[in-house]
Amino acid sequence: MLHVLLAIVHKELLDGVRDRRAVLSAFSFPLFAPLLIAFMLNSLATRTDDPLELAILGGENAPELVRFLENQGVELQDAPEDPQLAIEDGVLDVVLVIPEDYGEDFREGRPASVQMMVDNSQHTALSGITTVRTLLRAYSGHIGALRLLARGVDPALMSPITIDELDQSNPQKKAANLLDMIIMFVVLGAFVCSMYIAIEAAAGERERKSLEPLLINPVSRTILVVGKWLAAVAFGFVGVVFTLIVMMLAIGAIPLETLGFRIMLTAEVGFWIFLIAAPLAPLAGALQLLIASFTRSFKEAQLYISLSLTLPMMPGMIMSLKPIKTEAWMYAVPLLSQQVLGAKLLRGEDIALLNYVLAAGSTLALTAVFLWATVWLFSRERMLFGKG
Amino acid sequence: MIRAEGLYKAFGRVVAVKDVTFEAENGQITGLLGPNGAGKSTSMRMLYGLVKPDRGFASIDGVKVQDDLVGARRSLGVLPDALGLYPRLTARENIRYFGKLHRMRGAALETRIDALLDLLDMHAIAERRTDGFSQGERMKVAIARAMVHDPRNVLLDEPTNGLDVMSTRAMRELIRRLKDDGRCVVFSSHVMQEVSALCDRIVVIADGRVVAAGSEAELLATAQRETLEDAFVALTGSTEGLV
Repeated sequence: MLHVLLAIVHKELLDGVRDRRAVLSAFSFPLFAPLLIAFMLNSLATRTDDPLELAILGGENAPELVRFLENQGVELQDAPEDPQLAIEDGVLDVVLVIPEDYGEDFREGRPASVQMMVDNSQHTALSGITTVRTLLRAYSGHIGALRLLARGVDPALMSPITIDELDQSNPQKKAANLLDMIIMFVVLGAFVCSMYIAIEAAAGERERKSLEPLLINPVSRTILVVGKWLAAVAFGFVGVVFTLIVMMLAIGAIPLETLGFRIMLTAEVGFWIFLIAAPLAPLAGALQLLIASFTRSFKEAQLYISLSLTLPMMPGMIMSLKPIKTEAWMYAVPLLSQQVLGAKLLRGEDIALLNYVLAAGSTLALTAVFLWATVWLFSRERMLFGKG
Repeated sequence: MIRAEGLYKAFGRVVAVKDVTFEAENGQITGLLGPNGAGKSTSMRMLYGLVKPDRGFASIDGVKVQDDLVGARRSLGVLPDALGLYPRLTARENIRYFGKLHRMRGAALETRIDALLDLLDMHAIAERRTDGFSQGERMKVAIARAMVHDPRNVLLDEPTNGLDVMSTRAMRELIRRLKDDGRCVVFSSHVMQEVSALCDRIVVIADGRVVAAGSEAELLATAQRETLEDAFVALTGSTEGLV
């Protein structure tokens, strides 16, 4: 019995390793996903400590304003020949234009106009634009107050309301949200890597017309399904480990200290992430084998399984956009539980053993249900013809 | 020995097999002759247990297929209508996989595979991946993997379908050799000439029923005709779907 099972696993693995398309698509993901995260973290790490750069045109018309901006830590530079083009191309975030008649208006007490050339559709420029606007308003308010004082009026009359914005966000928090994606990608590694093996093992057999000869052998359908499933799970495990290793290497290369915190992706943390994500490889294999067993063709199986990849992505996506409060029931929901556990782990919080057992247990229970359903599908006469 | 007793099978409202009863002896070639759609393939599938009969039963060497599927299949080699191979495995690996599924392994398995490669004259292609094999080469691999466990009983579903002339000759040669080894051979065909050339006994199936059975001479005598074709028309009322 064991020899037969091993023969099935061996054959599926051999077939899978020789399938260049399967291997390529399985392992391009673990390579590229961590690089994507590393890139996002890196841009976050380098952006925060950059001083604001501001190009200025006609700075000689307003020497006081220029001095004020410099005192506020803005790095001023001369605007290029064609400031409009520089803005459109995204080379510059903001160009401040001070017209020639600024000085005259200013002296006469008329509102002196300055122009900010911006491109509000440039997402990355928004924070720079806001900063410049705030600084200019501050300067304007400052001058206005001085003028009122010179005329013996209390400037406080001009400010019936003062607004103090208490910004709770900081780079650490933004980066911490990215952490949620780390665990998501590791989980996705399992799903992506087992995908082709699972399709080949069921829908592929039928499309190739090798299913009927295979089913005639004196092997129980349960052994057959379990063997095919184990091969898919093996690929899933490789996907988890591979994604994790590339992730650790990529994130290790980023100067996260500039964000004022460190992601402790030590070998120990890596091992814990593996323990958390590992039960999802059996689940991924079972789910995909089930889908590939009731679909009629390779293409159809590929379509449905690709769609099912959104399942492991959902909890991570939602959590990285909007942090949710962890509640006890979440540990009993496969995929969500791993996401919650991983987030806790990467934030340095303790994980209760019970919660881990609950997460792994519920995941393996669902795996068993999928496997049972696949065996049932394999046992039906209609399996041969690929209907329903 | 292969036995079918009152086989009946319906898929939904379509009755594919209404009443198929026959016996195939060891050391004989038994041909199931009938037009396409007469119920030959469904009858075959009930014999090797991929389709469960609604009524009746099939037995292999006295073992009822429905009672002991795994046991019945151990002494049964099947060449089904579908001949798909694994294109990324070599011919030898394809055969070895089925051998292992029959609980064979080690030196005994390799010796058996070599014997089959000799028998089918396929040493030249043994270590090549089956992707790109010709129809004849694919057929040889399919036969070898069906025979890997040295079964006493052999079922072949339309074995010469789609083969070229040379491959067809080789296939007939093989079927005769299986008989000379004392095996029980059952094959289905809609080619009258082939059945006539090979079979010791002919089972005529039309519209899901066995309408006549016996040697060619017996069938001619029963129908009081000179040729198998005329006899077939007399027995079933038409030659539609036959070649």
